[in-house]
Amino acid sequence: MTASVGRTSWPALGVVVAAAALAPLVFTDFFVSVILTKSLWLGVAAASLIFLSAYGGMVSLAQVGIYGVAGMTFANLVVADGGAAAAWSPWIATIAAIVVAVAVGLFFGVIAARSVGIYFLMITLAFSVLVYYFFSQVTQLSGFGGVNNPDLPSLVGQPGQDPAPLYYTTLVVAVLVFLGLRYVSRAPFGLALQGLRDEPARMRALGFNVTRHRILAFTLAAFIAAVAGVLSVWYNGRIAPGSINLAQTIDILIIAVIGGLYRLEGAWVGALTYALLDNYSREWTPTVGDVLGAERFNTILGVVFLIIVLLSPGGLVGLWERVRGLGGRGPGPPGEVAREPAPAEAAK
Amino acid sequence: MSGSSQTPLDPAAGGVTDARGATAAEEAVEARAAGAPRRWTVTRVALGLVAAVVVVWLVVKASEDLRQFAVVSLNGITLAALFFVVASGFTLIFGLMRVVNMAHGSLYLLGGYLALEMQDSWFKEEVGGLGISLAGEAGAEYDLVGWLVPLVLATLIIGVLGVIMQQVFLRWNQGQDLRQALITIALSVIFADQMLAAFGGISKDIKTPTDWPESIALPGDVRFGFFRGVIVLGAAVLIGLLLWWLITRTRFGKIVRAGVDDREMVSALGINVQLVFAAAFFLGAVLAGLGGVLGGTMISLAPGEDTSFLLNSLIVVIIGGMGSLAGAAIGALALGLVDAYGDVYLVFGDTDLTNYSILLTFALLVAVLAVRPLGLFGRPA
Amino acid sequence: MKGIRLLALIGAVLALGLVAGCGDDDDGGGGGGGGDQAAEGGGDTIKVGFLSDCEGAFGSFFEPTASGFNQALIDKAGAKPASKKPSEGVTGATVAGKQIQIVGYGCSDGTADKAIEETRRLVEQEGADILVGPLSGDEGIAVANYAKDHPDKTFINGIAGAQDATLKVQAPNFFRYHPDGAQWSAGLGDYAYNELGWKRAAIIGDDYSFPYTSLAGFVAEYCAIGGKITKRIWAPLGEKDYSSYISQIPDDVDGLYVGIGGSGLINFVKQYKQQRGEVDTDRMMGNVFWDDPLVLKEVGNDLVGGTTSAMTAADSDDPDVTAYIDRLRKSYGKELAGLGPSVFTYGYYTAGQALIKGLEAVNGDISDQKKLQAALAKVRLSGDEAPYGDVRLDENHQAISDVFLKRIVKDKTGDGVADVATFRRIPEVNQTFGGFFTAEAPPPDRNNPTCEKRQPPPWVGKAEEVSFGT
Repeated sequence: MTASVGRTSWPALGVVVAAAALAPLVFTDFFVSVILTKSLWLGVAAASLIFLSAYGGMVSLAQVGIYGVAGMTFANLVVADGGAAAAWSPWIATIAAIVVAVAVGLFFGVIAARSVGIYFLMITLAFSVLVYYFFSQVTQLSGFGGVNNPDLPSLVGQPGQDPAPLYYTTLVVAVLVFLGLRYVSRAPFGLALQGLRDEPARMRALGFNVTRHRILAFTLAAFIAAVAGVLSVWYNGRIAPGSINLAQTIDILIIAVIGGLYRLEGAWVGALTYALLDNYSREWTPTVGDVLGAERFNTILGVVFLIIVLLSPGGLVGLWERVRGLGGRGPGPPGEVAREPAPAEAAK
Repeated sequence: MSGSSQTPLDPAAGGVTDARGATAAEEAVEARAAGAPRRWTVTRVALGLVAAVVVVWLVVKASEDLRQFAVVSLNGITLAALFFVVASGFTLIFGLMRVVNMAHGSLYLLGGYLALEMQDSWFKEEVGGLGISLAGEAGAEYDLVGWLVPLVLATLIIGVLGVIMQQVFLRWNQGQDLRQALITIALSVIFADQMLAAFGGISKDIKTPTDWPESIALPGDVRFGFFRGVIVLGAAVLIGLLLWWLITRTRFGKIVRAGVDDREMVSALGINVQLVFAAAFFLGAVLAGLGGVLGGTMISLAPGEDTSFLLNSLIVVIIGGMGSLAGAAIGALALGLVDAYGDVYLVFGDTDLTNYSILLTFALLVAVLAVRPLGLFGRPA
Repeated sequence: MKGIRLLALIGAVLALGLVAGCGDDDDGGGGGGGGDQAAEGGGDTIKVGFLSDCEGAFGSFFEPTASGFNQALIDKAGAKPASKKPSEGVTGATVAGKQIQIVGYGCSDGTADKAIEETRRLVEQEGADILVGPLSGDEGIAVANYAKDHPDKTFINGIAGAQDATLKVQAPNFFRYHPDGAQWSAGLGDYAYNELGWKRAAIIGDDYSFPYTSLAGFVAEYCAIGGKITKRIWAPLGEKDYSSYISQIPDDVDGLYVGIGGSGLINFVKQYKQQRGEVDTDRMMGNVFWDDPLVLKEVGNDLVGGTTSAMTAADSDDPDVTAYIDRLRKSYGKELAGLGPSVFTYGYYTAGQALIKGLEAVNGDISDQKKLQAALAKVRLSGDEAPYGDVRLDENHQAISDVFLKRIVKDKTGDGVADVATFRRIPEVNQTFGGFFTAEAPPPDRNNPTCEKRQPPPWVGKAEEVSFGT
């Protein structure tokens, strides 16, 4: 049952990263920033969701809430317009933001880890909404109109003027997140997690503390989400309750599903697709009465999402692998291996 | 479970259904944990103390201004009535089919909008005017028929729409509950955007019949809205009783109850499960649509109300326990009262915390989950 | 094997991006099919981006705002509407011999993040030299901040009313030709205290920045003269059931200022009626939303008797006003013309007028936008450029203009919708309320500004009574 451990080869990763590193030379500043940088940090957020889903069998909607906590904490701790403006150094604020968000994630995990499947989905959804309402109401922290112009580390320069430093920073973080999560998934912790996903009863019988393991996984994912939250503030140059509302929660889920819920790579494939759709569908879309048009982006996104869910639960990555699978018989998506009904299903 | 025979036909189901394979197993495990005898843990004692403090606080506040307390309590109860109507449909569908219909809020809002459109275009008594597109309904008058017919028709249309949704999108992947939830999320995104395009972003409301009183006078100089206090509350009680009768006294109800406990066995007994599923989805959607018409008359219709009522339904059933009608009633009451009291009584001396009242809802949620992970009346699948 | 597959996949997605990323240089036509009649002619074309909301709470105002902006081009730049749907664009707009190309009708959802994304798309991708927008408060602050970082572009606010966008951000290239949220409330405090005799008042509002701003305008003036605010009630964002908040309105006040706009108002009115028997509108004032044509249509008849204020007056019989509505009707038909007095349409209209005047002043030469910005700072709008009243800017590029007090009255025109009767003009309302609001003062919030008697704003006592069409 170790099938879903990533099988990305090093050369492929190397080539992709090298190609990505060259992007600022090829593309306009706008494209590097609004499409690529955004895809990278959205991908990190989606990766935290995919990690939980692929290896832990937990589809969490709390990731946006957690990254909201990180983003808001960061924005409040540095010099900014609005919020607490505590004027800490951006790096210390970054670390503090991640620590706070991980602590919140741990707390959420303790409550949610005993629930599974669809219950888990709903409870984590409630967490995200809770964070949104919290910051909507506690305006001392969200600065009435959001927290604007936070002080950023000098490393990323002035993203508004030159997007390249932030882009490279985000790229490095994304690669580290990818490699880190892949490493974890192959380490004993990750293997045990996959065991819990597939055979919780047996794992419990083997002496594993199922709940504690799930809490740990959730906390690790919270760490990744927290990183994405800080990156989002660096990218947007602001954070407001509207940045972490329910629509954003659903968008992150859509990104993960479009990319593919069971492969980490899917996070970035989904994020890039989302960013491209978001930006360019406004030009491509023909106007059809009130039903379709440039301002109906959400309809298009919803339809794409629906088609992906209907045709390929493995997302674009899964679709690709299936198309390939029709030719040379590759191993296919990992999930197929586990297709015989789980004993638990029969027990139902 | 009934869907398992289909899943192997769909190899692409992949990792997504892996997740739910684990779900089933975990649920079984959790069942034992949740079914364990109640213990007096620290958590329980602490929560009991908090509850006692809350009650004392309410008594103190109520004695200060009894009239306000009556109004606020009525607000909470009537809001709970509306939540119950909507959430009972949600919990019914889940209880039988394990489908979390994330488009339930969309059905709610669409039901309201459809009724509004019908009332507007069929029953508006022309007040003269130029008939230009800006002519509003604000001065129009409606009789009972002008409210009742849109209610019935809109509700039925939403029911049929629910069945279509189930047949087209959900029937063939029964048992893959996560995938079904994702499908309904996708549908809700599309619905929300299309409703914005069709009905605009301005709040609208369905008008009550003109000869209904605006408010009723209660003992102690308390005024309360007639529609809220009589119609919505009455409808909720009636629906509660009807559902209770349906679930406990009819063949359909027996099948539903059996299905909640053991779906495998129900289909093995040769019952046409598909028909029952379609009927349950119809009923669930009807309740959403009916809620939309009641809510659109009692409060208003606007973009965002779909997600807001989906969330309310989610919270109600998470508190009450998914699939349980009694749970939906208790959950709705808890949510409605916490909302209403929090809006007014979160004042401690000079510290006014009423702006944070919405967070109380979540405190309630967390407290319930900490003690009963499956909700107050939740039973393991 | 696996690696190659993944590589190919990512390559394919990247290639898609590449096509898209480079393709935009070829087709200048922006989102929404903005007029792509203009050739890629470098110096001969002035590219303008339009930004409004088509989703979220203000989604309904997308076409009205577009109609307002387009109408300015139709009036003064020889443009023709491309269709009856304003966001389809205009054709043939020229100013000082330069073609005006609308590179896109950008659409936000009321959040600052989305507004900035759309701004970036229009400015950085579609190459807009000038941006007109956005619509709502928080978006305005974000765009003003963005403007500060992009001094080589010029930004003219659409109808976003947040005070901070000009008062605090003070971007040299961001201009607002309409009063802000607090200015819209000017004159109400004077009227309440001195005419209606409100000695004590309560305020109730939705708990976010726009209501804070409109209430700040009321409080600043009302308290300066001597009024007392005894209770401030804020209903959390997204609250649809105001009953519990209504039950907190004290009985011992003379009046109530209602800062509930847009989607909440209909609920507030309904629940107020239920709890108190009727909406005692003669004891109520409302913010700028109250007499917006779309809102009147939904709840107007319940608001009859209430007082409100803004820089437009729907019943005005000034020839410039009637001509403005007529022109809108000719371009976009009755429905959109009916929204002409809406501040949303009108704000974008004056933005367009100011832009054209600024461009004419520099003879269409935007090679150095500093010159355009200097010209815009001096623009004064009058006559048919600003039919509801003259506009000039202060040193923060914020409009100083007249504000009208209006009462909502029973239907006069026979369409079943309540109408508006304007009864006062407050002359020359400025942003600071006579030095009260400053860049250093805390921004309006739940408790700010505090209620203090002090030097009243300069217009107190100078209001002139007006009466239209009687």
